[in-house]
Amino acid sequence: MIISSSWLADYVQVPASRDELVERLAMSGLNHEATTTVGDDAAIELEVTSNRPDCLGHIGVAREAAVLFERPLAVPDPRPLEGPEDAARRVAVLIESPEICPYYSARVIRGVRIGPSPTWLVDRLRTVGVASVNNVVDVTNYVMLESGQPLHAFDLANLRGSRIVVRRAIAGEPFTAINHRVYALDDRMGVIADAERPVALAGVMGGAESEISTATVDVLIESAQFAPLPVRAAARGLALASGSSYRFERGPDPAMVDWASRRAAALILELAGGVLDRGTVVAGELACRPAEIALDPRRVSDVLGADVSPQRQRKILVALGFQPADERGLRWRGPSWRRDCTREIDLVEEIVRIEGYERVREDVAVAARPVALSAREIAVRRTGEVLVGRGFCEAMTRSVVDDRLASMESPWGGAPPLVISPPLIRGADRLRRSLLPSLLEARADNAAVGNTDADLFEIARAYLPRSAGAAIDPGSLEEPRLASFVGGGGFNRAKGLADAVIARLGVGTTATVMYRPLTLEGFAFGRAAEIVLVTAGVESGRVGIVGEIAAATLERFSLVGPLAAAELRLDRLDFAVGRQPRLARPAEFPAIERDINLVVAERITWGELDRAIRAAAGDLLETCRVGDVWRDANRLGPGRKSLVVSLTLRSRAGTLTGDEAGRIVDAVVAECGRRCDATLRR
Amino acid sequence: MTPVAGTPLDTFRAELERLRHDAAEALAAATNAAAVEAARVEFAGARSGRLKAAQKLLGAVPAADKPAAGRDFNDTKASVAALLETAQERFARVEDQADDAIDVTLPGEAVTLGRFHPITQTIRQIQEIMGQLGFECVDGPEVEDQWHNFEALAISPEHPARDPLDNFYLAVARGADPLLLRSQTSTVQIRVMESRDPPLRIVSLGRVYRPDTADATHYPMFHQVEGLFVEPGTNMAHLKSVLRLFASRFLGGDVHVRFRPSFFPFTEPSVEVDMEWGGRWVEMGGAGMVDPAVLAAVGYDQDAVTGFAFGLGVERIAARRYGVEDIRDFYRNDVRFLRQF
Repeated sequence: MIISSSWLADYVQVPASRDELVERLAMSGLNHEATTTVGDDAAIELEVTSNRPDCLGHIGVAREAAVLFERPLAVPDPRPLEGPEDAARRVAVLIESPEICPYYSARVIRGVRIGPSPTWLVDRLRTVGVASVNNVVDVTNYVMLESGQPLHAFDLANLRGSRIVVRRAIAGEPFTAINHRVYALDDRMGVIADAERPVALAGVMGGAESEISTATVDVLIESAQFAPLPVRAAARGLALASGSSYRFERGPDPAMVDWASRRAAALILELAGGVLDRGTVVAGELACRPAEIALDPRRVSDVLGADVSPQRQRKILVALGFQPADERGLRWRGPSWRRDCTREIDLVEEIVRIEGYERVREDVAVAARPVALSAREIAVRRTGEVLVGRGFCEAMTRSVVDDRLASMESPWGGAPPLVISPPLIRGADRLRRSLLPSLLEARADNAAVGNTDADLFEIARAYLPRSAGAAIDPGSLEEPRLASFVGGGGFNRAKGLADAVIARLGVGTTATVMYRPLTLEGFAFGRAAEIVLVTAGVESGRVGIVGEIAAATLERFSLVGPLAAAELRLDRLDFAVGRQPRLARPAEFPAIERDINLVVAERITWGELDRAIRAAAGDLLETCRVGDVWRDANRLGPGRKSLVVSLTLRSRAGTLTGDEAGRIVDAVVAECGRRCDATLRR
Repeated sequence: MTPVAGTPLDTFRAELERLRHDAAEALAAATNAAAVEAARVEFAGARSGRLKAAQKLLGAVPAADKPAAGRDFNDTKASVAALLETAQERFARVEDQADDAIDVTLPGEAVTLGRFHPITQTIRQIQEIMGQLGFECVDGPEVEDQWHNFEALAISPEHPARDPLDNFYLAVARGADPLLLRSQTSTVQIRVMESRDPPLRIVSLGRVYRPDTADATHYPMFHQVEGLFVEPGTNMAHLKSVLRLFASRFLGGDVHVRFRPSFFPFTEPSVEVDMEWGGRWVEMGGAGMVDPAVLAAVGYDQDAVTGFAFGLGVERIAARRYGVEDIRDFYRNDVRFLRQF
């Protein structure tokens, strides 16, 4: 809201500088945006919160200033002289849709001379950024900016059938606005129609066919109340926001409907001449009797944390226009322009904002209360620490992606991605089901500007609908927190990182981590795995995936390989982070190292051999590591490979002998032979 | 050294002393093995070393003084030999190890460390300070329903915040209830209040979504940190004091906090919070006393408890703190940007 400094002075004499005025206004709820000089005047731009439509007019702002500086407020009482003829003989008003327009009033002025506005009017409008059109239109704008009540002036000659009908628009109905563009309306919007067609978009904008022109002789002044939602539907839906729609969306003072109409009539008679017909043609009902509000004066101190005397409270409320409804000031009635005040807390806020928040102390003690990080938060932090320690930077990519990224197969399966409207940014309207496509894109964006080594991770939610269709059931939308990373290098690097993260989450204390071959779009065939946990012999669902990015995917993103990635479900991996470590005392007795060289068929995996070795070696096996894997058809036979396995054997009870170690190795070899058809190569 | 006129013994002793002194000086000045060898030849050379020359002077000493002179000569000879040996060892050691010496100015083995995103770092610091003030971090879903995003927060159906164009509504609904991406993290506060009784101190944080055209100061996805404090007898002085403690810790020094009246549907009274930063008041976020309608919506006894709430925009704080002029940079994920934090 832009306020003209000289205009404001019509209603209140502020005994302070303009700087002090804007400072006081800011500290009581009208935030100061800027002040600019316009000719001899100053345009003061104030931010008006949506609960204060009363301050969308100069009188409302003047009222605030009057309260703050304890000065009288002078509001004119326009009494335009009425002619002999009855306005009701000229026009009829019918409200068909009271939910769009609860109240409509029309005054008629006949025989006006349309012409330029006087300088004072042109100047004031210019200060607040409104261009002058002609004397009648300028008056309607002026009175809106004065009172906060929007008005519209019609050329009565162009209202067919001398009728005003307020109704819901018909879907697809065309309407030509005063900007001479044609809009297709829908049935959420309201129109002012004459006997034949819409002549105004209710509460938003007038129509071209009934606008005031130099040929206009008779004028109908509309002053009405329009409901916020249809006005917003029209203003937003058609991108036709106006000063009028802005105010009706917030609800102007009902007591100003007639005032504004009288004020406009008086000014038009003064500036454009003509005769005002007797009376006002009205339809509907103007509801403006405010309810009583109870106030316990102690509540003010309870909220503010400082005392405000009942006398002071009373003085503030009265100055703001509230009226005591009983002798003791325990019941109040709000003014018509403060329909936002309906409850005790509303009165409390009024008192404290005028009293001033500088009275609120900033040094009271708050009792200590210890808090702990949640398991989720600990998991997020530990995961990040592992990856940052290995050179990965944390990325933040958009939760909503375009079709290209959304169409990649999600490791988490499920229904197609959820769609939002409007798109987050152009083209991006799908809630992602995996972070990996976004990270690949971020890696590619980096490569495009020469950062070829961008190893990135992100920890964020994915959105997994479990069912497709127009409706989803409660609980059928999962939002798991995922930790994902994309980095240069092959499968082993990514797997090593995934292992490190999972180990850091303490999963190993209760579960065994198992990798199984996985075929998934985006990953190279045979070079991806799913991660599952095995707890007491029971397998979990998939907790993660890891793999090398396929050549086709690299090409699609204009990326250079080798590149590997992993995505972990932190919601399924954070269960052990709260567990306290228990010390396992380092063994006192020396270990025995034994290397064995096993030859197996190509299809036998290390995982299978590892399980066989552990089963055979039992508790005395401390570690079991695989070293070189090599193939030589001549020496090993075709389709066979050799693995060097290093076993560390140790007993907690005493020093192992060579014989004991030898027996374990024999058992291991035998078990590998039995389960995996392994032979020992000597 | 001034030559001493006197007995032949005195002369002899003076020569010995000079010799020992010269040898010590020459060896101390030696910077390499060659210089040590040159000194050895000069002082202890078998044919024409100065020790050899001094030995010849022994003949001029009277017989009675000879035993003493001989002792002195032997002492000097041993002393020079010891000096030589020390010097030789010194250079022998350096030369033996010369092959192992390195250029210590060469760079060390590169360790590439990643970085946490500046938004994460800002959130963590806020979390840490609020944790010290007894606020526990909570989290909730980003896809929300009307109740949690609007109704329980006293945002009426007429409120502009509910306009379809001001929210990201999902194409699917939950029954008749439209779903949307949450426009504020207050949704989580409602969820926590629905499941837990006061006293309560929580901070909800995370991503929120509002349709805004992306520019230097707006992005349709951003992060919020919102605090909620519900305990019997809470008033605005508690709010201001907690925010002042937060501001002093976060910005450093003894920072003051200023309230300006504002409007939010879910708090009343509502205020904008300014903090002193860099010598001027900077708007840090919104706050207020929890609206009684919100307490009622979650089934709290409005007469028994009151509370306050506040919200901070993380991007704005991080941008100011790190000198980021375009908040879109936070989401470009350019490692040349990320590695600076």
